Amino acid sequence: MNFKKLLATAMISLIAASALTGCGSEGDKQANGGKVQIEYWHVAAESFGGATVKELVADFNAKHPDIEVVEKYNPDMYKGLTQNLQAAIASGQYPDVVQMGYSYLNYAGENLDYTNLNEAFTKSGDPDFMQNNFLPNVLALAQTENGIQVGLPYSISVPVLYYNPEIFAAAGLDPANPPKTWAEVTTAARTIKEKTGNIGFFMQEYADNWAQQAIIESNGGQMLKKVDGKVKAGFNTPEAAEAYQLLADMVADGSALHATNEEGFQAYLSGKLGMVCTTIGKRANFEKSANFPVKVASFPAFEGKELKVPAGGNFLMIFSKDDAKEKAAVEFIKYLQSPEALVKWNTGTGYMPAPKGVAEDPNGFKKLVAENNNIKVALDLMPYLVKWASFPGANGLQAEQMLIDVRDVILSGEQSAAEALDQTAAKIDQLL
Amino acid sequence: MSRNNRGAILYLLPTAILFIVFYYWPLVQNLYLSFFSWNMVSPTLKYVGLENFASVLQSSELLKILLNTCVFLLIMLVLNFILPYFYAYILGHLVHHWTSFYRSALFLPATLSLAVASILFLWIYNPLAGPLSIILGWADLDSPRWFKENYLVIFAICTIIGWKVFGYNLIIMLAAMVAVPREMIEAAKLENASNWVIFKKIILPMTSSTAIYVFTITIVFGLQYVLVPVNMLTQGGPNQGSSNLVYIIYQYAFVFFQTGKAAAYAVLTMVCYALFLYVKNKYLEKKVYYEN
Repeated sequence: MNFKKLLATAMISLIAASALTGCGSEGDKQANGGKVQIEYWHVAAESFGGATVKELVADFNAKHPDIEVVEKYNPDMYKGLTQNLQAAIASGQYPDVVQMGYSYLNYAGENLDYTNLNEAFTKSGDPDFMQNNFLPNVLALAQTENGIQVGLPYSISVPVLYYNPEIFAAAGLDPANPPKTWAEVTTAARTIKEKTGNIGFFMQEYADNWAQQAIIESNGGQMLKKVDGKVKAGFNTPEAAEAYQLLADMVADGSALHATNEEGFQAYLSGKLGMVCTTIGKRANFEKSANFPVKVASFPAFEGKELKVPAGGNFLMIFSKDDAKEKAAVEFIKYLQSPEALVKWNTGTGYMPAPKGVAEDPNGFKKLVAENNNIKVALDLMPYLVKWASFPGANGLQAEQMLIDVRDVILSGEQSAAEALDQTAAKIDQLL
Repeated sequence: MSRNNRGAILYLLPTAILFIVFYYWPLVQNLYLSFFSWNMVSPTLKYVGLENFASVLQSSELLKILLNTCVFLLIMLVLNFILPYFYAYILGHLVHHWTSFYRSALFLPATLSLAVASILFLWIYNPLAGPLSIILGWADLDSPRWFKENYLVIFAICTIIGWKVFGYNLIIMLAAMVAVPREMIEAAKLENASNWVIFKKIILPMTSSTAIYVFTITIVFGLQYVLVPVNMLTQGGPNQGSSNLVYIIYQYAFVFFQTGKAAAYAVLTMVCYALFLYVKNKYLEKKVYYEN
């Protein structure tokens, strides 16, 4: 009996011990030869600029002997990163610099315990860094409705039209003269379908509503509106329905594809699809993976209406909880926003720079633009940037999902765009 | 309490503690969370009573999700239970050559992860460039948009899970098939019993205990396997066409950060599982033959 007792006690203490060691290694992080160690959380997978993040961090660490940045990749984009961030904050472990997606702006602003950037820059002795280096409309991309600066815009992407010049030539279209308006896109897609048998067009179907917002707002529609100071769904208008119906009609007559995002990209890269409307952030990856010369055209406009493209990509937030780390985080952000670092970042991902003047800077994009016309096309879209619609409140992220659901309803032809958008707007208003 | 009992309890203790801490405590915790509105980081949990349950039960999505879950289960029962059962019979009793090759070939996919299988099948099902669309093209058929049509998407996802699970279930059932005494079958053959009669009168009852095990894991594990391909390929789409009781919990908890509603769905799922196990124990178990 004694032996049994002993055994049981031993087992229990073993379990308890193993459970405790999991949380025991917290204290020994700081002691690193007097260096300030900060964590940089990002979403750059190997195929999406991951190598560039490592290169930038190594370069920064080499130039700053007193700071050590540790990069941490978070899978599954900003959703995955936010999940990890929630868990980390709940257990009191704050990262220092974090990439956050623009569609999470309201959620992050309302729910996460972040550091005020204005105060952080003031404390580091450079209070006007943001105002001096960024245009007001760019800073506004990371501001909430009431003007609170949640983060500093970093990577900026715009939706563009990729096309396959070989398919264009085979269909008798001019590869040097891609469609500029949605009417021209529709005609080109039908011509491609008739002449080559390939599908003409695909608009990205990521788990967000970003590209769809671009076409709706470029037709004079809007995603959100303010009624008596409260945010409501604003996309139940004829303009929005007309833009969406144009996409649905193309799918219905077979000249456009309605499929998962990966399937659409696979089809384009294997030369079976004429035009893809998606983020400029895919440029580097597309140019590398396709077996034809990938060409980029501007996001198409509606005849006589002003172009509006929502900014995608991410802004940087600071979460540091002590002054030394906060100062190091500011230093690191300044490095990431320098022209040299932004050029590297663009080469690895295709993202556009947020600070002003970088595009003309001889150390910045001047050389890149001269070498690759695809980059110039995207840079030319910068004046038309608008904010990525982000629903406020505890149900904001669920509202975004409803827009993704309605996309399937409209594109599969289950309901007309006007009808489906009306119903979804009512549902979202109920949630908000 | 007798001395003997105390010893037994002590032996059970380590396992029991693990079970209580990692299985039952989370269940209680989940029940607790279902009465609150919370996003996992906010320091205050807002008590809302039964509101989460009310909104789940009244929502228009609930019916669709329950129906989808049933369709998932039905297709998986065919692919992962009935089909391997017949394959096991064929491999165990009718095929006499190349048996070890078939066994390893059919078991191989079980060693791959579901994430890998998902990516693989994304290619196979690609409506424009995938091998399946090329084969359909030979017959002048257009490939359907597998992951964008209602119900077809459920079938497509079930084939991914089936591809992985089939081999494992087959091996388990094959073990049961081979364990059926040869003499019994030889005796039946002497009496001129057909293969079908042998299957029905001897094989079926003798393998029933293993079959009920595979039946149970097909339902209990199968529904959990669904999470990986759904999360990777469709995120519940098109318009919740591939959403189900397991994915919706994940979606509310870790995509929308609404723990209360997620917990309410989890309680609902728990009730469904409990009902299933009750029915299984009460009605099915009685017809099962256990050797010992």
